[in-house]
Amino acid sequence: MKDLKHLIYFEDLLQEANNALVQQAKAEGKYAIGYTCYFMPEVLLDLPGCFSVRLRAPRCTSPDIATYYMSARVCHYGRSLFERALEGGFNFLDAQMATETCTVTCRFQEHLQRMDIIKNDNFFCEFIDVPFKRTENNYEHYREQLRYHVLGKLNEKFGIDVSDKALMQAIEQHNEVCRLINEIGDYRKLDNPTITGYEFQVIQLATLVCPKYLILDKLRETAEEMKTREPDPKPNYRCKVVLAGSENDDPDFTKLIESCGALVVCDRHCYGAVESRQPIVVKEGQEPLDAIARHYLDTSNCPRFMPQDEMRERKRRLAELVKEYKADGLIIASNKFCEYWSYERVIDTVVMKRDFGIPVCSIEKEYINSASGQLRTRFQAFVESVEIKKIQEGK
Amino acid sequence: MAFKKKLDLKNLDIKKAAKDFWYGKPHGERRLGDLYEDKTGLYKHREWRGVKDTMYYFYNVWLYNYVHMVIDVQKFGGVVNFAKGVWRYRWVGQTYLPVLHWFDRGMEGLRGEALRASPWHYRGMVCETIRQFQRMFAADTKLHGGKKNDLWYHTMAHNETVWGGIFYPWSDQFDNVSMEMIPYFVTCHVNSHTVHNYIDAVQSIGLPGDPCPMCQAESGLFVLDDMPDYAPFTITSNEACDASVATSILQDWFLDKPLFAMPQPMQFDDPLVLKHCAREIEECWRFIEEQTGVPFNWDQLVKKLEQQNELQKFEWEKWDVAAKTSYYPINGVAQALYRIYYSQDGDRKIWHDCDKKVRKIMEKCVRKKINSFPNTRHRVIAWSCAPLYYSHWCTWAYNCWGLNVVINMDSLMFDMTIRTDTYENCLEDMARYHMWAPMRRMAVGGMHHIFELWENMEKFNCDMVAMYDQLQCKGMQGVHGLFEDEFRARNIHAFWMPHALPDSRTVSRMEIRRIINDYMTTVMHEEPLDPSLLDFDDSMGW
Repeated sequence: MKDLKHLIYFEDLLQEANNALVQQAKAEGKYAIGYTCYFMPEVLLDLPGCFSVRLRAPRCTSPDIATYYMSARVCHYGRSLFERALEGGFNFLDAQMATETCTVTCRFQEHLQRMDIIKNDNFFCEFIDVPFKRTENNYEHYREQLRYHVLGKLNEKFGIDVSDKALMQAIEQHNEVCRLINEIGDYRKLDNPTITGYEFQVIQLATLVCPKYLILDKLRETAEEMKTREPDPKPNYRCKVVLAGSENDDPDFTKLIESCGALVVCDRHCYGAVESRQPIVVKEGQEPLDAIARHYLDTSNCPRFMPQDEMRERKRRLAELVKEYKADGLIIASNKFCEYWSYERVIDTVVMKRDFGIPVCSIEKEYINSASGQLRTRFQAFVESVEIKKIQEGK
Repeated sequence: MAFKKKLDLKNLDIKKAAKDFWYGKPHGERRLGDLYEDKTGLYKHREWRGVKDTMYYFYNVWLYNYVHMVIDVQKFGGVVNFAKGVWRYRWVGQTYLPVLHWFDRGMEGLRGEALRASPWHYRGMVCETIRQFQRMFAADTKLHGGKKNDLWYHTMAHNETVWGGIFYPWSDQFDNVSMEMIPYFVTCHVNSHTVHNYIDAVQSIGLPGDPCPMCQAESGLFVLDDMPDYAPFTITSNEACDASVATSILQDWFLDKPLFAMPQPMQFDDPLVLKHCAREIEECWRFIEEQTGVPFNWDQLVKKLEQQNELQKFEWEKWDVAAKTSYYPINGVAQALYRIYYSQDGDRKIWHDCDKKVRKIMEKCVRKKINSFPNTRHRVIAWSCAPLYYSHWCTWAYNCWGLNVVINMDSLMFDMTIRTDTYENCLEDMARYHMWAPMRRMAVGGMHHIFELWENMEKFNCDMVAMYDQLQCKGMQGVHGLFEDEFRARNIHAFWMPHALPDSRTVSRMEIRRIINDYMTTVMHEEPLDPSLLDFDDSMGW
């Protein structure tokens, strides 16, 4: 396929947290608000006057000082973020909106609170409590947490307008990003997709780490370009897979999978688009904040959700994604030391195959994947097994 | 050599020998390590504590408890159910008989009033343990040909960190039994090998080795189908850590029963969170009403809470004596295990019975100024979560080094009584109690809580910290460096005790002792009180 016009531009934006667009927005007087988890609604951090940055620590392979503080026995992602903060890589942040939704990122953010790491006199870190269920009590609780700890603090510290009108404006911008990303991403559903998983992940990640209003024009151009993009005459993949699992902000991991012959057609992981790029619908008469709170609890497929029906629904949803994207199998990848996904991966590995007949490749990986040789072998073996299955089924 | 020495009649000091026989040897001369068989840690012979204490321990502790273990089995469900349970479930089969060895390990070296007060704590735990597993067996469909008997319909199952108080409103008609408290938590203390099997089982289906081994063991019970089916529905919680959420979910796949998830909120200082948590408790009560068809009973709740408050009030008296005097007659392991057990389990008659006995002894100690731990060199506070397979390390530490563990983090979790004057106040306090679940009040809810260590250190007049280092606890590993910084900045003597909660294979008891020995010799430059305890191998021991 012909290269996407802005791919290198998007790739460049992923090299540093403090990328060119972040710097531009800061120069324009906007406040940079960091976050790590889907349960901190990015739309609230994108209110007029501020912008969201989902934190990453690209190329952090040796988090030595963070390891002193957090030991080597916790997830590499949390330690890498902490190391990057200690290096000064997040000094551009004006605030960190934190969630205690997984232990290690919580500890990372608590270190930001306790130690004088971010060299910004006005910096503050605020936590919200995120529920584990979807009941009326929990919707309400989540909404009030957002109202008090996010909107309240943004208004109090930075004078951000948090009125319903401002929220509607942020929702509108969010929905526009979703529309464009979904338009681009839907080309992965074609029989012979015209966009690779790697390309899509780069674009999706760029929307998470850049001020939205500065990246919309490039997204529009890319969406336009996709309309006429021709696929390779002969597909250069051997099977199509859904990539599910825990935190994954490394496009090179997707590239590695695709280099083994498995095209990644869907991304259901913490930084993926399946959840984060669904438009927010505000019903008539509904308070925008209520719509946002419900949206983020309803769309999440996080293994934090404990009730029986929600847990079973996650599996069904995953099976539907495999069908919707015409995938041949599922790669479930969890970061080493991620407890939620270690268990979820085990259950998925058993259940998806047993109850839905979907071939599963179960992978435990590091945040930065230096052990690519071992992973390559695993993916190649999986691709072969899927091919053999197809032959046996006479496809 | 020791045998030959005993026969060396020429140099025998008869007066001293007679004194040692009558009163027991003084601390520095006991050589308790010589009592152990290599590897198993079984005793070559019983410890001689002087005539009075040896007789007391044999008759009033050993024999008394053996007899009551039989009586309790009969009282709480009968010998037939017990025999079936022992045959069917390995966790009870492997742990029932070593119980008195567990007493021996915890009570080693104790004399006088400490030898009277500490075993009462163990007695309470044994009785309540038997009650719980007997209830499980009596109601268990797996032991009764798949039949659901009346007890099955009148038992509520719940996660071990769902406080027993949640079920008080129905306690006049129903009983509640935690799923993991006995099969997992209690068994690790009594027999350190039992849970290995469950950890291996869950890893055999693909779980990596790094998640919390407690959660792994709890999952493994279900993987191996070693959990009785004793109740029609379940209340679960998050036990306030990621792996426990995931464990509850995995267990749910196996249970496949009506379930109410009642997680403890993570940011418990927030008044908004308290309100939310109170509503969750009410939703849980509605769920129980729906499942049982029996309405919430406010009077029963109040009655039980007021009884539980009595337990807490006595605990405060105990803390007061421990903090302000040298006359506290309860050793570190008895204090830690009894407190976490009853405060989580909730009001039961046996706790009141034991507290009554202990109160008498403690008051006597204070009145007569009896120091039960006269060889204390350091008053130690133990922080974070303890190695379950070596909870009696503090007994060893006192005997070997004079380290007296006065208090520990888990004891301090539920530092409150529950108001019963109005429904609103009661619910608010119950929500707070629920949020302060074991392992979590200090470990989550904001990092500052874990540093409550400093104020408790001062309150309990401690000069040393035993810092438990649960290698697979992500929450505690995540604050490791800050503790190092604080220890240095505050010039506090602290030793780290690496362990893997129930899994004795990761860090053995011997390795834990070696680390403490190293600290005491190289940092503190001290000599052991009993050198025979420095180095011995009990890797095969219960």
